[in-house]
Amino acid sequence: MSALKRVQQWATFARIWHIYDATWQNPFESAALLKKYLMGLHKPIYHPLADCGDHVVVINCSEIALPGDEWKKRVYFHHTGYPGGASWTLAWELHKKNPTLILKKAIYHNMRGNLQRRYTMERLHLFPNESVPDEVMKNISNQIRQIRPVPKRLDHYTEDEVKEFPKLIDYPKDYIIR
Amino acid sequence: MVFTTVANFVRSRGPDEFWRKRKILKLAAHYIGRRRNCYSIAIKNVHRALVYATKHRQLRKENMRQLHETRIIAGCEQHGISYKNFTNGLMKSNVLLNRKSLADLAAWEPFTFKALTDIARQKCVEDGVNIDLSPQKSVDVITKGMLK
Repeated sequence: MSALKRVQQWATFARIWHIYDATWQNPFESAALLKKYLMGLHKPIYHPLADCGDHVVVINCSEIALPGDEWKKRVYFHHTGYPGGASWTLAWELHKKNPTLILKKAIYHNMRGNLQRRYTMERLHLFPNESVPDEVMKNISNQIRQIRPVPKRLDHYTEDEVKEFPKLIDYPKDYIIR
Repeated sequence: MVFTTVANFVRSRGPDEFWRKRKILKLAAHYIGRRRNCYSIAIKNVHRALVYATKHRQLRKENMRQLHETRIIAGCEQHGISYKNFTNGLMKSNVLLNRKSLADLAAWEPFTFKALTDIARQKCVEDGVNIDLSPQKSVDVITKGMLK
């Protein structure tokens, strides 16, 4: 083996494509997680000047879950630059207009404002649902673990499962279920 | 602008105004525009540059330390151990490597670094530290406590 071959490191700086399912996930916690993959902070070869970030594909962005009453309380500010051009949009309104924008802004604001930030954001691919183009899907080779487990909703259980669930008590006969 | 000989540089130390200024202009030789040619502008910029250099001597150390920590954390995450437990475990095992060496190992000697994480994890398990063993990787580390 020649000296050159010995130190050859195949694909050290190759970009990996990760997929992340945003169903029922907090976008602000997810942003801190996804930022690491986008910037390459998860690699021991990380250097701020080295271009070692990966691609992240996020699916089901419209299914994100904001904590508490943040849908009503969180406000996004925009100013057109003209006098009286300020506007405030509530999170639920923004989500209605563009279901990927809350997550995008969360990730954008999680990174420091420098020249690299916009190029790093180019490596983020957000999709409101599960339909991802094939040319994106064929690159994916890793899945990022979700932060929170996705609970199964009561209306997603079949009727038989609900019926067969072990009962603790019987309601009294004069009990009125509203 | 450039001192071609040592003799010229030695002459620049004296009270001679021309050579005193020449010394400053030499430091400003790589600047752009009038700040490299006009003494009164050059001296301001040279002073500022020297102040920056003084300040950043400390900042460079801090930045490098930050970079080393980032790299170690990345390495630790690959092997499913937190940075805190990793450094704690190594310290208790009397592995006294500094951040720079650990970061170098994480980047260039991944198998050595993996062995270090195994040692730290084993030490944490022995000391009863609340450690997440969910990956359940085979730990083939033999410590003094296990040999008894």
